[in-house]
Amino acid sequence: MSEPTIAAPPVLLETLGPDWRALARAHGTPLLVLDCDRLRLQYRRLAAALPGVTLHYAIKALPHEAVIATLADEGASFDIATSGEIALLERQYVPPARTIHTHPIKRDDEIRRALRYGCTTFVADNVDELDKLVPYRHRVGVLVRVSFPNPTARVDLSRKFGCAVDELPALLAAADARGLHVKGLSFHVGSQVDGPAAHVDAIHRCLPFLETRRPGALARATVLDLGGGFPVNYDGATPEIEAFCAPIREALALVPPHVAVIAEPGRYLAAPAMTCVTAVVGRARRGGRMWYYLDDGVYGSFSGQLYDHTRYPLLPLDARGAPEPSVLAGPTCDSVDVIAEDFPVGELRIGDLIVAPMMGAYTAASASEFNSLPRTRIVALGAPAKLAAADERVVRLA
Amino acid sequence: MARSEFVETLYDSYGQRFSIDEVFFESRTEHQHLLIFHNAKFGRVMALDGVVQTTERDEFYYHEMLAHVPLFAHGAAKRVLIVGGGDGGLLREVVKHREVEQVTQVEIDGSVVEMAKTWLPDHSRGAFDDPRFELVIADGAEYVRTAERRFDVILVDSTDPIGPGEVLFSTAFYRDCDALLAPGGVLVNQNGVPFMQLDEVRKTARAFRELFADWHFYGVAVPTYVGGIMTLGWATQEPTRRTVPLEVLEERFADAAIDTRYYTPAVHRGAFALPRFVQEAIER
Repeated sequence: MSEPTIAAPPVLLETLGPDWRALARAHGTPLLVLDCDRLRLQYRRLAAALPGVTLHYAIKALPHEAVIATLADEGASFDIATSGEIALLERQYVPPARTIHTHPIKRDDEIRRALRYGCTTFVADNVDELDKLVPYRHRVGVLVRVSFPNPTARVDLSRKFGCAVDELPALLAAADARGLHVKGLSFHVGSQVDGPAAHVDAIHRCLPFLETRRPGALARATVLDLGGGFPVNYDGATPEIEAFCAPIREALALVPPHVAVIAEPGRYLAAPAMTCVTAVVGRARRGGRMWYYLDDGVYGSFSGQLYDHTRYPLLPLDARGAPEPSVLAGPTCDSVDVIAEDFPVGELRIGDLIVAPMMGAYTAASASEFNSLPRTRIVALGAPAKLAAADERVVRLA
Repeated sequence: MARSEFVETLYDSYGQRFSIDEVFFESRTEHQHLLIFHNAKFGRVMALDGVVQTTERDEFYYHEMLAHVPLFAHGAAKRVLIVGGGDGGLLREVVKHREVEQVTQVEIDGSVVEMAKTWLPDHSRGAFDDPRFELVIADGAEYVRTAERRFDVILVDSTDPIGPGEVLFSTAFYRDCDALLAPGGVLVNQNGVPFMQLDEVRKTARAFRELFADWHFYGVAVPTYVGGIMTLGWATQEPTRRTVPLEVLEERFADAAIDTRYYTPAVHRGAFALPRFVQEAIER
């Protein structure tokens, strides 16, 4: 990889809570350690920073049963994108009333699967998608996704999805003409955004559509979905969530009281809750530089370096002597499987551990089994005592 | 203490809720989620995929109207086919007719019948043990496509078309049913609540128009099928079945000495009078 390596900021040492060596001995490496208490803390922090906003966890960030069970226990709602995610929620007995289906582009069988589960809110951003919902128009409510381009986001989601704001009146009229109930608007300014300006701007631009009932509409809009984008601190330079959300709270004060505000955080909840523990399995000096080969890499848990454009803090537990710029490589045969090029580290030996915090979001979720290497095992600490799937008779429908 | 309630998830902006006194049975498979619980008002309630299918206290509305309207209209039905209806409530009403010599029920999932015998015994009240009864565990659509026998009455007691019952609402299925009907035979199926799902009745009307010499719908307002009257589809090649005079129905009803709580010959006749918006939807 040609991108510069980000050195581990000291603030992250707080995450060195568990005894990583003991966990590695007990479970083997590579290992992903999911801290459900940290997940709860993240949920509570964001809920406190956005009072009155219903948080729908974006399952795609880390689709794991302990994550679902923990967040369901906290009272979270959920954002579904696929039928596979519905199956995961069903196994944890999540009441469908706490879910919305937010994929703007759906196949008919996915709509039907969601309806059979009991999810009745869907997102559309163009006329074809409205047409797909017409057969179910008496059953569903629709959020229309609006696009506000945001080139500063790490992942700009407004390019792939969303109706341009100048086309919104025509799309809303098309929904009305089809007898669809438009419940409100949604937007996604991006993922891991630098500042709250894009959210604030998007809220302001949605306001005119929320204030009054359109002539011809079945009902006035009652939902505003802020999407995600809430950033976590990978590099020590990201604002705390309380400060990040302050301008958003100010903007939300302008939203009419009949509108319920929801958001779809994924990364903010999941990223700090999981840590990767990987071991040095080989080393060589090549071209005057040390290469350390680890048992996890970019085809595995570090896949987010490719797909999510994220670099994770790397904390060697056992380095000896003066740091020298070294290469940390993954376990596959592919030359692209390099985690860090110029990582300053003292001497590592085979069996030494490297701990990578902040690896909960878009890591295991996008890992592959390239080279027939199995996906890295996830061990959940502090998960709810009984995952719902264990008891067929439990009913949590409220 | 955790609040225990069932909120039906059929519609986004409207629905019914039940308090749960006790859960009797729950199973989740990759295909469906089945729940049977007790509610103070409705007794035992069975829900499939979040939608109420039947309850102990109001099931008679639906099962009596699904069974007795075609059977009394026919007057001499000997062979009856039930597609679906695994809870046994419809079967219970059918076997009340002494003229019926044989009832075949095709149910896709045998465990539904076993579950109903255990947890909804008042639905079947022993009807599964009737000597005239035969249970076939098979896909209903496949059965009507391949069966060699003929039936005087075919009753389709399906789930809603979003679920696995979708094929039971297809033109091909109705065509296969028509081929299985003996001369003078009648097909009846459920078509949802038109106030909420007008497309369903509209779609069935289009298919029936293409296939049957006489077709119509008749109504029954089942309390837990929210939204007003439910429409049951009526299809036959014999137009006189629908216009059997009230006196004849009364005579048949009296002779049968069947105890009912919803059905009467007058209700039977009146049920075919449809609200104007339904008439317009089916272009009648």
